[in-house]
Amino acid sequence: MIKLAIYGKGGIGKSTCTANLSAALASLGKKVIQIGCDPKADSTINLLGGVPVKPVMDYLRDNDDEPESIEEISKKGFGDVLCIETGGPTPGLGCAGRGIITTFGLLEELELFKKYSPDAVLYDVLGDVVCGGFAAPIREGYATSVLIVTSGEKMALYAAQNICSAVRNFEDRSYAKIKGIILNRRNVEGEEEKVRAFAQKNGLEIIADIPRSDDIIACEDMGKTVVEGRDDCESARCFKELAKRLILEDEND
Amino acid sequence: MKNVSKRISCYSADTAGICSALYELGGLTVVHDASGCNSTYSTHDEPRWFDMPSRIFISALTEADAVMGNDEKLISDTVKAAKDLKPEFIALCGSPMPMMTGVDFDAIAQEVERRTNLPTFGFSTNGMATYLEGASEAFYTLSLYFSEKREQRADTVNILGATPLDFGLNGSVEAIKAFLTENNFRVGACLSMGASLNDFRMLSEARVNLVISQSGVKTAKYLYDEYEIPYVCAVPVGKFFSKQVLKALEDPSEQVFKNGSGSEVCIIGEGIYSKSLASELLYKGIDANIISPLETDKGVLSQNDAQVYSEEDIRAYLKEKKPKTVIADPLYSFVIPKGTKHYPLAHFAFSGRCYTSKILNFIDREIDIQI
Repeated sequence: MIKLAIYGKGGIGKSTCTANLSAALASLGKKVIQIGCDPKADSTINLLGGVPVKPVMDYLRDNDDEPESIEEISKKGFGDVLCIETGGPTPGLGCAGRGIITTFGLLEELELFKKYSPDAVLYDVLGDVVCGGFAAPIREGYATSVLIVTSGEKMALYAAQNICSAVRNFEDRSYAKIKGIILNRRNVEGEEEKVRAFAQKNGLEIIADIPRSDDIIACEDMGKTVVEGRDDCESARCFKELAKRLILEDEND
Repeated sequence: MKNVSKRISCYSADTAGICSALYELGGLTVVHDASGCNSTYSTHDEPRWFDMPSRIFISALTEADAVMGNDEKLISDTVKAAKDLKPEFIALCGSPMPMMTGVDFDAIAQEVERRTNLPTFGFSTNGMATYLEGASEAFYTLSLYFSEKREQRADTVNILGATPLDFGLNGSVEAIKAFLTENNFRVGACLSMGASLNDFRMLSEARVNLVISQSGVKTAKYLYDEYEIPYVCAVPVGKFFSKQVLKALEDPSEQVFKNGSGSEVCIIGEGIYSKSLASELLYKGIDANIISPLETDKGVLSQNDAQVYSEEDIRAYLKEKKPKTVIADPLYSFVIPKGTKHYPLAHFAFSGRCYTSKILNFIDREIDIQI
């Protein structure tokens, strides 16, 4: 099974990349679950035609009892991708990281993976690995590999470096390992060289190079991924190539 | 604000269940919690503390360690203690504070095991679940690790789910062992009172398991799946019901419990014990049912019994059903309607040492309750 956690600086395009990768995997016949791990709860919105799923934290806030079925906290989107959002506490209160752990515990109780038997699970995680909760997706039993989304911008690379260090801090534990970098281009000067230098310094590979594209913006305005909305465009082709590679590597494993 | 107890007590928490289940087994149990909290788990919830040594420690978690995620302090202190004390295994368990900071006990256990070469188990307890869940996880995890395939003995019965939190130290567990022995059974493992780690190794020798509290059910199911050992959920209380337990041990497919509507007596407490006591009363011609405010296996409860967790729901249930007598821990007196008789039967996991003289030993003996 493909089990990926996607990290990167806030606003760098993690949700765009994750949703497109989910859509690409689904378009290749794979059964996919995408779990958004961000209080903003907008990871899966472009798989759902712009109509969001109710986040797990909202469900727990509104109900005295925990949900009894996966259906109560999920929605199927493009390509039948099962979409789940952890959501988070009221802004300024509570603990968002704890919200992720609580959601994962709940999904375990509901036997999500056993009942749904996915081919791929993608965790779209907020920003850096800021606390224990945001490391939960890379713990044993969840993601086995991490993809870091970055552009050539200084702060995106800074965040990517922090993520590398955080994941490597857990080398003694059976946590996920970094699989590679998704270069999500912003067309800054010397972008490719900067990201290549970062990758080389950290012994990582750039496994996808997503061009800056108006197609993505146009599709997102319609509540779609490019894989759904413009599957003949260059960006969609890149996501499909990445999906094919991940499937092949998973089969070889 | 559901499940808030305003007038009655609450049951011991999962962490206490772990400590209680592992108390006699020669391990090192470390609770990741603030300094001083050991008394909660090991003295208030542990009647053996003053007479029987055990290696239960608190990590003395500080605010700074919690905020900084300083797992290394817990790991290195545990490793150091293990080198000094040479336990047979290590158990690490949590409390509310590490729950909030998302401490990964499984991963920490792996690190401790690597550094000590001792079997190390991580339990993500957080004080929010009951002692039954904690004890259940402890029994199950150690059974999974230590049980080994052995030749089955036709006369052997294991006792699963024994902790003082359910049975106190009033001789009930010893009486169950004596009862089995007097009836030509050999008592194998007893998880885990009067037990050692060896009891887990010999679990597969039994022909049948006697599960005396909910904390033994998960292990019983595992032993059934792994070694095809059937199990009977029952406590041999009373003169009539204890005979039914013997029959069920001979033929575990036989239904052991009797079901009543509770018009005369309603028993509040741990599911398997309460259901056993209700069955004894039914054999004596007294209509009884139970309220279980704790998790209880579906096979134990009948449709006439109630799985009710909150104080307000218990109060409403009793008001509606109007039993003549309620058998329950003395601290339940606050929710028993006026005019209903209350027979006090103390439960250590609910009222601790407050009413130890009311923790009664009903094993294989005449039960005389005036309703």
